[in-house]
Amino acid sequence: MSVDITVTIGGEAGQGIQTVGDLLAQVCQRAGLYVMAINDFESRIRGGHSFVQIRISDHEIFSPRNDVHLLIALDRQTVILHQGRIPDGGIILSDESFSEAEKPLMRVAFEKLAEQAGGKITANTVAAGSCLALLGAPFDNFKDVLSVRFGSKDSSVLDKNIKAAELGYQAVSKADFKWAFGWEKRAEKGVLMNGSKAIALGALAADCRFASFYPMSPATGVIRNLTAMTEGIPFVVEQAEDEIAAVNMVIGAAFAGVRSMTSTSGGGFCLMTEGLGLAGIAEIPIVIINAQRPGPATGLPTRTAQGDLLFVINASQDEFPRFVFAPRSVDEAFYATIRAFELSEKFQVPAIILTDQFLSDSVFLIREKFIAPASVSRFIAVDADLEDPKNYHRFAVTESGVSPRALPCRGTALVTSSGNEHLEDGHISEDKANRTRMVNKRNAKIAAMIAEMNGPNGYFEDAGILLIGWGSCTGAIKEAVDLLREKNVDAGCLTFSDLWPFPAEKVMDTMGKAKKCVTVELNSAAQFKLLLRQQTGINCAGSILKYDGRPLFPQDIIEQINDFI
Amino acid sequence: MLTKENFFCDFENKWCPGCGNFQILEAMKEAFAEMDLPPEKLLIVSGIGQAGKTPHFLKCNFFHGLHGRALPVATGAKIANHELTVVVSSGDGDCYGEGGNHFISAVRRNIDITLLVHNNKVYGLTKGQASPTSDIGFRTKMQPHGVIANSFNPLAVALAFGAGFVARGFSGKKTHLNQLIRKAIAHKGFSMIDIMQPCVSFNPVNTFAWYNKRAYDLAEEDYDATDLDAAFSLSRKWGDRIPIGILYQKESPSYTDRIAHLNTGPLIDFTYEKDRVQHVIDTQ
Repeated sequence: MSVDITVTIGGEAGQGIQTVGDLLAQVCQRAGLYVMAINDFESRIRGGHSFVQIRISDHEIFSPRNDVHLLIALDRQTVILHQGRIPDGGIILSDESFSEAEKPLMRVAFEKLAEQAGGKITANTVAAGSCLALLGAPFDNFKDVLSVRFGSKDSSVLDKNIKAAELGYQAVSKADFKWAFGWEKRAEKGVLMNGSKAIALGALAADCRFASFYPMSPATGVIRNLTAMTEGIPFVVEQAEDEIAAVNMVIGAAFAGVRSMTSTSGGGFCLMTEGLGLAGIAEIPIVIINAQRPGPATGLPTRTAQGDLLFVINASQDEFPRFVFAPRSVDEAFYATIRAFELSEKFQVPAIILTDQFLSDSVFLIREKFIAPASVSRFIAVDADLEDPKNYHRFAVTESGVSPRALPCRGTALVTSSGNEHLEDGHISEDKANRTRMVNKRNAKIAAMIAEMNGPNGYFEDAGILLIGWGSCTGAIKEAVDLLREKNVDAGCLTFSDLWPFPAEKVMDTMGKAKKCVTVELNSAAQFKLLLRQQTGINCAGSILKYDGRPLFPQDIIEQINDFI
Repeated sequence: MLTKENFFCDFENKWCPGCGNFQILEAMKEAFAEMDLPPEKLLIVSGIGQAGKTPHFLKCNFFHGLHGRALPVATGAKIANHELTVVVSSGDGDCYGEGGNHFISAVRRNIDITLLVHNNKVYGLTKGQASPTSDIGFRTKMQPHGVIANSFNPLAVALAFGAGFVARGFSGKKTHLNQLIRKAIAHKGFSMIDIMQPCVSFNPVNTFAWYNKRAYDLAEEDYDATDLDAAFSLSRKWGDRIPIGILYQKESPSYTDRIAHLNTGPLIDFTYEKDRVQHVIDTQ
């Protein structure tokens, strides 16, 4: 029997739900299983309702599922909210103080057992123990993970947690669980990684050395990871007074010659848009991470969305070239970040990584180890590269639109830049011919930028019904294709990561023969459908849209696809 | 030895004849020359307004960015390469209005840059609206009944947030201003000079004569610039006598001094080391 089950752990913020999730994911990863976990939480530090949902499988998985086979309820609310998702044979594991449920309830005295183990704080470990026992996991597997997790702390912390885990195991030792499976030793399939960490590693691998930010969910994770991983490495992280300062600091550092980035979400990106335009006209290479959440304004701070697509492509007044990449997976988040830095410097334009709460906060298993590039090309001109450094013009008009980029105070070339429209030498100019020439110069980069863009990835792309998606929805879309094909629906998909400048020709080559196209997006206006039509003339039959702030599940597609069959 | 001619730039000047900016520009060039700071070693960052145009009118590296945002750009540049000499040329609207939050934060960071604020107490480039430093009651076409809000006191604010070099200059006393600029650049840490200047087009109240009658040099009095309480008290003096000179000076480790890696050299000079990065990746 193949393994594919979902465990959901729910409770109030502050009950250590995320810790349980991390522990379970680690036990599964170390046992050679495939695993992915989503974090669903409210914008609060204590109380409310949060849950972690872990899908465990013996085959590769890319997306969360709706069914919950085992529900661990640390509070009453979890039972009420999630029991509807439990199929026959599923179990609710809850504290003994809870009473009724519509589904089979197994009560374990999480808190009392935790007190026996040495403290109420270990109630989440008791719960994790019971959960693993029901799944059939050997106790030693859990013990090993606990030892890694708590090994560096005071030994009493580890002892208490091991005791708590044991009590959790014993409490359900006689119980049967329909989907318990064999935990024979399998080779480890990869390491656990979330999107935020992948982007942070990508920045490091791109030789980024400066990040400035203003805290904002769900974008802070990138900076938190960068801060943790650059201890002892020449990398400066500065918490700015606001997002406007953050982007302008990044522009200043990039102007001076250090690869630099900032990370924000939609609201912060709004504040950065004038700076984005400055990077556009002053031709400064910067990288901005926009981890999308539903808006407008404060919207849903801890939820996910894909509502910023047309915004980031068009953000800031007037026109200038920029790159926009929407990674489809954590692996791609790493490599797209490296590409963003590289291409941003190659073309002296800003680059945006468009991710979202789902990709940033969810844990995936990556199969291939990330590899840092052997070297980093900087596309910087020193005096020796310049014909006449004393007459250096930062914005010299060239056929490619890219001018040699010298750095200030690194030679005799004076680097003079302005966010006003300027002459080739960077001085302000209101001359009409110069204005046209400078707009043309900046736009001249676009053709070569497009050539750098990858077209979509296909999966059964010759199918009769083609699902079109972008960014982090890719996993759920691909899995929906598999499920539909199992039901003899001739479905396939095309998924995009490189969004701007839009690689229209490559898209036409791939989509020319497509029969019926349906975009799948986490926004209400079908923004990608609009973009696709604008850029290629291709008219999709319709869209499957979800904008409740929750991630896309394959089931969402299955339920709506009938409208198009 | 450099002279101010080394900073000559033939780009057409766009200020009004008689503007106080000309004297400030001359004082800057003279100060840089006397410090032996050549154009290629100097980075001037500016925002928007007449003061923001300053770097176009002398020879130097410059970044002329957005309204109010010169300080964050300068901060980023200094973090990237702390061997740069970074001077910010800003105005009262740019620095204290649009960029007020950045002003406070730059002071708090004690980033080692020099801020020169051309303070003419009025918006010039947008034609004569009140600025944050306009006095209560100051009348303009946009404020026909006079300014209602209290005037922003940049020196008191800088002192309150722990600035280590707080000075006031006057465009009409060019030599004095030149000396102040040299001391400000030599100061390790954030330094600021609020420079009183007339606006010949839009400020009929605070004229050259008005300032000239009131400005007096602190150095000519028995004044101790290490006394923070005295500096606070002096920062609030505005009226018949207005002190110019250094109100307060005390060095403390700057932002980049306090980042351990940067003690071995500027961020820009480190090299990419694949093995080090791969090690970080492999140990996640």
